Amino acid sequence: MNVFRRLAAQWGERYRKMSIQMVLSLSFTAVAAAGMLLMSVSLIWRSSAANEQLVAENSRRVLAQANLNLDIYLRRMMRISDTVYYRSIKNMDLAEDDLTGDLSLLYEENRDDLVSLAVFDGTGALVSAVPLTALKRDAAPADSDWFRDAARSMENLHFSTPHVQNIFDDPDYPYRWVVSLSRHVQLTRDGATEGGVLLVDMSFNGIEQVCRDVTLGNGGYLYLIDGDGELIYHPRQQLIYAGLLEENNRAAAEYRDGSYQETFQGQSRQVTIKTVGYTGWKLVGVAPAVSWLSVSPQIPLFGLTLLLFSIFLMAFLNFRISARISDPILRLERSIRELDRGLAGVKIEEEGGCYEVQRLSHAVASMVSTMRHLMDDIVRQEGQKRRSELEVLQSQINPHFLYNTLDSVIWMTESGQQQEAIQMVTSLARLFRISLSKGKSIIPLADELEHARHYMNIQQIRFKNRFTTEIAAKPGAKELYTLKLIVQPLLENAIYHGMASAEDDGVIRVTAYREGEDLLIDVEDNGLGMRPELAASLLDEDRPEVRTRGSGIGVRNVHQRVSLTFGEGYGLTIFSEPDEGTLVRIRLPALDREEAERRQQGEEL
Amino acid sequence: MKTEQSRRIQIAILTALGIAAALSLALPQLLRGAKREQLLSLTVMLRDTDSSGWTVARQGMEQAADELGAELRFLTLAAAGDSEEQEALLLREIEDGAAALVVVPADPESLSAALDPWRVVCPTVTLESPMEGAAGVVAPDNTQLGKELAQALLEDWDGGEVLLLDTAGRCSGVAARLAAAEETLIAAGVSVRREMELPEEPPRWVMAFESPVTRRAAERREAEGQDFALYGVGSAAAVTAQLERGNIAAIAAWSDYAAGFLAVRRAVNAVRGREGTLAPLPFFILREEDIYAPENQKLLFPIMSSSSR
Repeated sequence: MNVFRRLAAQWGERYRKMSIQMVLSLSFTAVAAAGMLLMSVSLIWRSSAANEQLVAENSRRVLAQANLNLDIYLRRMMRISDTVYYRSIKNMDLAEDDLTGDLSLLYEENRDDLVSLAVFDGTGALVSAVPLTALKRDAAPADSDWFRDAARSMENLHFSTPHVQNIFDDPDYPYRWVVSLSRHVQLTRDGATEGGVLLVDMSFNGIEQVCRDVTLGNGGYLYLIDGDGELIYHPRQQLIYAGLLEENNRAAAEYRDGSYQETFQGQSRQVTIKTVGYTGWKLVGVAPAVSWLSVSPQIPLFGLTLLLFSIFLMAFLNFRISARISDPILRLERSIRELDRGLAGVKIEEEGGCYEVQRLSHAVASMVSTMRHLMDDIVRQEGQKRRSELEVLQSQINPHFLYNTLDSVIWMTESGQQQEAIQMVTSLARLFRISLSKGKSIIPLADELEHARHYMNIQQIRFKNRFTTEIAAKPGAKELYTLKLIVQPLLENAIYHGMASAEDDGVIRVTAYREGEDLLIDVEDNGLGMRPELAASLLDEDRPEVRTRGSGIGVRNVHQRVSLTFGEGYGLTIFSEPDEGTLVRIRLPALDREEAERRQQGEEL
Repeated sequence: MKTEQSRRIQIAILTALGIAAALSLALPQLLRGAKREQLLSLTVMLRDTDSSGWTVARQGMEQAADELGAELRFLTLAAAGDSEEQEALLLREIEDGAAALVVVPADPESLSAALDPWRVVCPTVTLESPMEGAAGVVAPDNTQLGKELAQALLEDWDGGEVLLLDTAGRCSGVAARLAAAEETLIAAGVSVRREMELPEEPPRWVMAFESPVTRRAAERREAEGQDFALYGVGSAAAVTAQLERGNIAAIAAWSDYAAGFLAVRRAVNAVRGREGTLAPLPFFILREEDIYAPENQKLLFPIMSSSSR
């Protein structure tokens, strides 16, 4: 019991780990195999029963024909006996007539079937006989079974079992096997009647010929017994007589007419009985079970192969069908798992297969698509928010710058430098106007450079022209558009970092030019410069944010604004060497007016 | 990838099963053809010049050959008991492709030596006398037969010398019968004498140990009107007729049909590599009055099928 429980538990465990395809395949195959097996067993059983009936019917038919032939043969023998009795013996007085002539005539007519014809008186003394006319010296016919049977039952004809006729004196000693047909007869001698026996010795060959060629097919055979089961004919009779073979003839004598199953010497067989009229003999047809259970030895082998083939074919089909059902589910599950692992670009295909799977994959794909849109929106909104923050931050005028500028204007006004004061205020006004730019974030490059120029005008006045500024746009770049307020933070950085130690020889150069589909703005100074690794770290997002002048936060903000607005490929690149100077290069897409307006509208939406 | 491999395995097994199904259909036909070709050729060699005394045994042999798929070739000698001729003929038969031999050996010892190199390729089954290296011997217990035949004589014996016809030569089976009978008679205090032929004036008691010798002695008794009591062996019709006519007092008889059948069956089985043992043939001591007892009729007078005549 425990074994069964353990097996059931193991099976349950395996079942839980099985794929849907395996479960479907195994279930369908098991059910189909069980069905086929049941059907096969049913067919075999029905076929066996039908075969059994067929064999029995065939045996009955063959036995009926053999019985007819045997009956004809025996009736012919009986007619010979009748002829001798009613046409000769009854019409003769033995004292006057000789019976031998009539007997000889009949014998000659039927010599192929007859061995001898003889008439005996009631004591067993020979009256007449052909072809042998004398008895052996010590022959005692009255002691023979055929004589006693005739004497005992006078009204009947009696057929003996096969025996060697031993009463006639034959110098050749041929020892012929005969079946004796005997009957009681009334002999007339000198007008008086007396009992006697008429003997017709039928050649055993006659019976053998009737039975010999009768076969039941597939190893079946026929034999003949008398009412007591004594063997009269058997196709292997001499083997039985020699003790090398046995037959179930005694049991067969007990059967009535019909078909029976019996087991003899470990072999199952079907026995069909047909009683031969008048004699009480029985024809026995034997069909070995193997002959009708397996018509041919290859049938079970072929049946087994066919069954296995069918089962495997069924398994194969089930596998294909279940694969068609489960494969789309598996692919869907795999895609979802990859999605779960966060693999970007995982595409949820809308699977084929069954309707339900199609609906499911469509729903999942739709859900993933919606999720992606939402995530994109969030990312975009986050970027926009960050960019806005940076823009706001950069569009704010540094209070120090404003204070210093206004202080410088006051100082110049008080010192009578009216013209310079006006110039500074004018530049400051222009600076503010361009900063506003009607709230647009993308402005013409010319305006941006103008903004930078005004800023530098103010700074140059403040720094008493310790450096010179060159701002220029090369042909093909002037008409392009750029992000607003991206040059000024770089200039501020150049002034406070690069020009800190300049003495009238500082140069800050701003150059805008087009390179392919990009707009490049180089802000270059010949100041102190810095180590390349420091220059590289300025744009590092993980760098701690220190809001001090020259910390580079303004540069990083510009970089982030450009990247957030135009993508990862755009932004700042810093080239610097200590004591050589610094070049900050801004890379932007080359936007024409239309593209700039389109982007502006997109951002506003 | 795994699915593709599984699919290929399935297709391979399907193909194998398909071929197996086709083979299972064709195989029995092929086997039937092969079986038909396996008809064995067996040579039956007697030690006499004619086979008339072996008619019934031959019937049994043919029955076995028919049932077991063999064909028989019967050979006799130009001179009875010529062992050299027998050996030469048998060796020629082996060279001609005989699958097995069924032999009544004239000289078992010599024949065993001659056939020894061929023992494996061509098994030999002997009748009457055992032979070393033979696949089997089909014969009654010759010693017991000799004893019981002597006992039959002793039942009738009322004095006088017993003549033992010593015709065995080198035939060990016949010699064993003679020796056992001689021993039994001597043990019973009977005077015995060995002669190779029946003398002009035989004593009252004569014993023969071969069927042809028994027949000839009986025929001489009848022809010359002698009155010696003959005790012999054999179940041939001629011997039985002499028993019935009173020229033989008793015979030791066995079924020649069974002997022939068993010899060929053992030979076929030996060729096909099937082991088996042969029990001694049962024999009976019969007198005239026993001949027509139903069981003895079956033993002495085999049914001669009309198809085999």
